[in-house]
Amino acid sequence: MGSEISPEDDIYPLALLMDELKHVDVINRVEAMQRIDTVAEALGPERCRDELIPFLLEVAQDDEDEVFAILADQLGKFTQYVGGPEHLTILIQPLEVLASAEDTVVREKAVMSLNNIAQELSEEQLFNAFIPLIQNLSTADWFSAKVSACGLFKSVLVRIKDDSIRSNMLSMYLQLIEDETPMVRRSASKNLPSIIDLFAQNQSLPTPEDWKSISTMFQKIMDDDQDSVKFLAVDCLISILKYFNKNKDYSNANDLLESTKKLITDESWRVRYMIADKFEEVASQFSNDEAYINSLVEPFIGLCEDNEADIRKAIAKQLPGFVSLLNNPTVVLEKIFPIIRSLSMDDNEATRASLALTITNIADVLDRQQTTDNLIPVLLDMLKDEFPEVRLNIIGNLKAVYDVVGVQLLSESLLPAITELANDMNWRVRLAIIKYIPILAEQLGEEFFDKQLRELCLSWLWDTVYSIRNAAINNIKRLTEIFGDKWCQEEIISKLLKFDTQLLENFVYRFTLLSALTTLIPVVSQKITAEDILPFINHLANDSVPNIRFNIAKSYAAVAESFSKDLNTYQDTIKNTIIPALKNLNEDEDIDVKYFASQSLEKSQSILQ
Amino acid sequence: MSTEVDVDVPMQDAEQSDLDLELELEDELMKPGSSGIADHKSAEPVKLTTTSIGQLDAWIEKLVKCEVLSEDEVARLCKMAVDVLQFEENVQPVNVPVTICGDVHGQFHDLIELFKIGGPCPDTNYLFMGDYVDRGYYSVETVSYLVAMKVRYPSRITILRGNHESRQITQVYGFYDECLRKYGSASVWKMFTDLFDYFPITALVDNQIFCLHGGLSPMIETVDQVRDLNRIQEVPHEGPMCDLLWSDPDDRGGWGISPRGAGFTFGQDISEQFNHTNNLSLIARAHQLVMEGFSWSHQQNVITIFSAPNYCYRCGNQAAIMEVDENHNRQLLQYDPSIRPGEPTVTRKTPDYFL
Repeated sequence: MGSEISPEDDIYPLALLMDELKHVDVINRVEAMQRIDTVAEALGPERCRDELIPFLLEVAQDDEDEVFAILADQLGKFTQYVGGPEHLTILIQPLEVLASAEDTVVREKAVMSLNNIAQELSEEQLFNAFIPLIQNLSTADWFSAKVSACGLFKSVLVRIKDDSIRSNMLSMYLQLIEDETPMVRRSASKNLPSIIDLFAQNQSLPTPEDWKSISTMFQKIMDDDQDSVKFLAVDCLISILKYFNKNKDYSNANDLLESTKKLITDESWRVRYMIADKFEEVASQFSNDEAYINSLVEPFIGLCEDNEADIRKAIAKQLPGFVSLLNNPTVVLEKIFPIIRSLSMDDNEATRASLALTITNIADVLDRQQTTDNLIPVLLDMLKDEFPEVRLNIIGNLKAVYDVVGVQLLSESLLPAITELANDMNWRVRLAIIKYIPILAEQLGEEFFDKQLRELCLSWLWDTVYSIRNAAINNIKRLTEIFGDKWCQEEIISKLLKFDTQLLENFVYRFTLLSALTTLIPVVSQKITAEDILPFINHLANDSVPNIRFNIAKSYAAVAESFSKDLNTYQDTIKNTIIPALKNLNEDEDIDVKYFASQSLEKSQSILQ
Repeated sequence: MSTEVDVDVPMQDAEQSDLDLELELEDELMKPGSSGIADHKSAEPVKLTTTSIGQLDAWIEKLVKCEVLSEDEVARLCKMAVDVLQFEENVQPVNVPVTICGDVHGQFHDLIELFKIGGPCPDTNYLFMGDYVDRGYYSVETVSYLVAMKVRYPSRITILRGNHESRQITQVYGFYDECLRKYGSASVWKMFTDLFDYFPITALVDNQIFCLHGGLSPMIETVDQVRDLNRIQEVPHEGPMCDLLWSDPDDRGGWGISPRGAGFTFGQDISEQFNHTNNLSLIARAHQLVMEGFSWSHQQNVITIFSAPNYCYRCGNQAAIMEVDENHNRQLLQYDPSIRPGEPTVTRKTPDYFL
């Protein structure tokens, strides 16, 4: 059909689109759909409304999910093409069809687009088109439409000033919360927190009547027989608590505390997991009253002793947060520390690793003596954990402890732990400990470092795994930034240059040494570069392995770059040493050596100009 | 073939009966050269221009992030690659130091892991012994990346042909479908399979280590006989070229019938004789899943190297590469599957409620 229509014809774009949308190949139809905004623009608002939208409505009922998903997405951005907000309601019908689709992705995109459109609708349009849409979807026969309906209430509820209509809408929502299919109940429960949050931003709106329905909804969710619905009550609880706290209304706190405890002791582990995972956030909502926080200690301990490892893992992370809310060293020492002890020896390694990640922060609420007596012994044991991640997490987070007890107390126990990690079979464990070294160096100081850790740092340069050698090089650079280039010259460069010549027969180690020295150039003085590093580079310039030679070419450029900062002193060296050497490499028989030499030559010559 | 792989068997035929599957193939698909990538071959080796270097560097930067090239870019890349690979020899000479690697099979993230272990190319020289495509989910990215590196750094990387670099096998084991899925048509598959015909079939590292995908052939006694083959063709169903890409070493002596339906099995006597005749120290080959990533056989006359960890994302094997330094010292490096961001780290312990 497209062939009979010429490009001058004004229905050409639509005809072309229709042709493409009838293509047998779904990829072509998807591509055509991605371009419908161009077609809409070409048609102009009036024809877009009269021809394109009716056509798309047809498409929306007869194609594949991939095409629907893009259509649903596109329609949300159609305001300008249909001629501005006053014509937006025309989009509701196709989107309603898409919002009832079977495919989740399509529905979600349709709901998102509908919510976008709702932002731009007038109050009148909301009443006449959007609310009826919600009603249709909410009372549809098929669950998919109802699932979508749940996501649309948030766009209208706070814009309705009429209390009776809002109350009707909420009863409609309550029906969705009570729907017979779990998918609908799940969607309604998932969307409830954002509705409560919107009420929190519009405090004047909700009537006591409205609150009663929300409270009923919350109870229904908490009592649902499906775990996958019930665990969504945790987010609702948080939103409700935040609403009342914002209002400084504590009249419901007792009831909500009871609900909290009920969720914590729920028989379903998914529910307990959910609240364990957000424990600090929930508990902090009760921080206005010490008695409430204290009454959460026992439930908290219950979660720490839960049978499910995943729950213990989740609650272990919440420990420092809850401890600082408690703000009561006696309770912490008497009740919480026994629990920390047992979590630190948990059967599940992920639980121990999770505890290790945050436990050091408990030092914040303890004094020096309490830390030394109670926390340090736990940390020392965890540094000997058989699972590397536990040790790494402790080592990486020791700063809070140092701040309280100083460095010395821990350093002696730290070394064996570091050495063991440094020699772990798994190279990612070795990599992780290397990354912590600069942090440790800063905390432990130069003297301790030189005595205990320097040799270890150099030994990583000769690891069999490239990534470890490379990390070791960057580590040395970082350490030079911390301790200064004089330290680097005396403790690192001089040791590297005296390196065992037998090992250097292997090009891997020559390459590593060259990379290490080249990487150090930007962080040491020109004098060190000229006196220590450049001679080494010259020495390797005729290496038998081309890979070394083209890296030599790159190193020369790095030296020249450094010398450019003090041309008065070093331009002769560039002229008389670097450029001739690079010209020599530029005549190399290996194509890659030639290429990198010519690049470096260009760079070095431009520095002299 | 059955996807059940018995992990207790030290050496496992990666595909037991590829050729048993007689497919009704469309003539059009099987016709070599239909992609046109080799229509305007250069008569002599081409030197890379600054523009093409810039282009290649940009492609490599994109590919290393596991993003595919456009169809048009693949066409240009393959044309450039023909002009590099057509001048390589059936027995491509390779210098030491070099790192020798086995099957990759579209496991792109594990290929990146390989470079983390062995060092990036071009700083490290690499020799890959075939099977870049099929099985894994990223055959297109894997082969595009390796070919782009080959064109950009022809003296730093050598890519041999494996039995999966073939029109017939790729239609069964995933590469063809992946191309259709990622490009919407078979044209990219046609270009790559046309290019595969130009891949060298063996390499000789410093006249000492003979590298190839499969193994020896009863019709080949000397390395020079390999040089006489015409390799620019689809992998044949039989004959010396087929054997080099399909054969396996075996504990039994002499030549045996291969359970794969192509190639042969060969015993220690054959390997020893071949190494002696050709003055070689070792035959390095890939082609078979080995749980440790490498496996010595025939009293260190043959080594199998397999570089796809957790092959097919489920075999639980380690992978390995072999570094050969300039003094011919060999170092074998093993590694595990890459850890991909966003993927949960799975603990091997079974939760209580499953027990």
